[in-house]
Amino acid sequence: MREFGRSGLKVSAMACGGHHLGDAPEQKVANQIVQEALDGGITFFDNCWEYHRGKSEEWLGGALKGKRDGIFLMTKVCTHGRDKSLAMKMLEESLHRLQTDHLDLWQIHSVAFENDPDLFIRPNGAAEALREAKQQGKVRFVGFTGHKDPNVHLKMLQTGFPFDSVQMPLNPFDANFELSFEKLVLPELNRRNIAALSMKPICGTAAPVKQSIITAEELLRYAMSLPVTTTITGMDNIDVARQALEVAQNFKPMTAAEMQAVRDRVRPYALDGRFEPYKVSLKFDNPEARLAHNFPLDMQQKEVKEMLGASQNTGKPYPKYQSSQEQ
Amino acid sequence: MSQPQAEVPRRKLGRTGLDVSYLGLGGYHLGTIQEQQTIDRIVAEAMDAGVNFFDNAWEYNDGRSEQVVGQALKGKRDKAIVMSKVCTHGRDQNVAMRQLEDTLQRLQTDHLDVWQIHEVVYWNDPDLIFAPNGVIEALAKAKQQGKVRFVGFTGHKDPRIHLKMLAHNYPFDTVQMPLNCFDGTFHSFEQNVLPELNRRGIAPLGMKSYGGSGEMLRHGDVRPDEALGYAMSLPVAVTISGVDTLEVLHQNLQIARGFQPLSAAEMHSLRERCQPQAADGHNELFKTSVKYDAKVGREQHHFQNEEELPL
Repeated sequence: MREFGRSGLKVSAMACGGHHLGDAPEQKVANQIVQEALDGGITFFDNCWEYHRGKSEEWLGGALKGKRDGIFLMTKVCTHGRDKSLAMKMLEESLHRLQTDHLDLWQIHSVAFENDPDLFIRPNGAAEALREAKQQGKVRFVGFTGHKDPNVHLKMLQTGFPFDSVQMPLNPFDANFELSFEKLVLPELNRRNIAALSMKPICGTAAPVKQSIITAEELLRYAMSLPVTTTITGMDNIDVARQALEVAQNFKPMTAAEMQAVRDRVRPYALDGRFEPYKVSLKFDNPEARLAHNFPLDMQQKEVKEMLGASQNTGKPYPKYQSSQEQ
Repeated sequence: MSQPQAEVPRRKLGRTGLDVSYLGLGGYHLGTIQEQQTIDRIVAEAMDAGVNFFDNAWEYNDGRSEQVVGQALKGKRDKAIVMSKVCTHGRDQNVAMRQLEDTLQRLQTDHLDVWQIHEVVYWNDPDLIFAPNGVIEALAKAKQQGKVRFVGFTGHKDPRIHLKMLAHNYPFDTVQMPLNCFDGTFHSFEQNVLPELNRRGIAPLGMKSYGGSGEMLRHGDVRPDEALGYAMSLPVAVTISGVDTLEVLHQNLQIARGFQPLSAAEMHSLRERCQPQAADGHNELFKTSVKYDAKVGREQHHFQNEEELPL
């Protein structure tokens, strides 16, 4: 358990990622994964309004039924530059799907594009929704996430908004790369006493593990050894959940020398960003964000296919929102 | 009765002493044209209009681009500034020298006017280029041997990578980069690299004025005269534009003949107009995706291929 920023609250040093939960074959398996995580000592659950068109939130809400107390529940709002009223509508949906009356943490999802910080802080932007939701007691803490460019994160911090948390990809590949969250953003968060939440400990898709460059255990241990509040990792089946939990339960922080050795080992594979496609390509930009910006979509992308293919949805029509800018 | 048409005007190519036309002819697109006759005609018409800069690269269309341009320039070599690029993508100077021989032979010439390191686009490329025995040593050697007159580098990815290259203070004669009305507000070469080149007297070569494959014209809501006009109005030596049909050549020549630069106010308003759509770089896919990164380079850096990483 670790301190959540300056709140005095404690959360588990590993968190269960919401996107992968929606990758489970059925709700029953998701329930098992959540139970396994709870039994293993996880208290922090990640999610997002747009993961699997709402399925991730619904499944997590179902799996946590009757177990909400003692849980640190986070989800994200997907305005992607659009306005406050849209954010508040999304919050109501998130609360409904998650079967709760409040979130512990509500974050702006996927801050990626150069103009996102300006759109966030503008009058009637999502920043006002964060304030209002806090005031209404619907969320306790607020933050933002993104996987693209540390400089965009720094621009968000420069807006002066009082964030409680900031989420970002942290792994030894990131640490070696020029566009490094570990080098550029993490020290700033620690200085400001903002809770640092790490994600993509195994680079999102485990590609370096599949290519036997490093083990998942080493990568998880590396991420957890950084000065962060929690490390969010995806669990799409029981085996992966158990493997991650085992690392967490036996966790001893790496020494500075051990961490350096890990960084040095992956360095030859890290300097060009080949294992961080979320930074160097558009492949991991989420389609909802692209639509909100009127950017074209990659029709081959899984998320785009999901968005277009109603058969893979929860069956409910995808809500059409219009921002005041577009009206 | 039509007036005699104005020529494409010229500017200094940095401190090389050469005069170069505002508009240069891109080598990649020429190599995609099937008929040599059409290529010959494009090259001849371009030269008649005053275009004297011919871009190329060792790897364009597996060598065909160099071959067809060599053929089209037969008997006209003296009037042309011939540039090509070396495609080591991190490999050593021996690879570079071998590629130079291929290039000279395909272009049917005994020397290049400009030889540039192609596609400095990965963050560790500057380190690999300047490593002992790296391609940088080939540039000096080729110059010494009289096989190339001037040297430079190109890249389309990130201005910070260009600045890493420049931080080595190597005496480059030219530097090539994307310059267009979307670049002006997004990961901008115009803001970050162009002033530094002009400060140093290095000739800036602009490219991708339409987005690489006309993306800006198709989805970006700008006209060719606006996009090409913007690029040519910047303080560059030449704007290299790819041409794959006679129609495109005619369109570009119409803009470039007797070209009058846009005013600062016109350029500003065009940048402002493009800014909302520039912010994720989808009209500049060479910056934001691996789509424009050459196969050889991806292989050297163990990146996924185009099918696995489409955007």
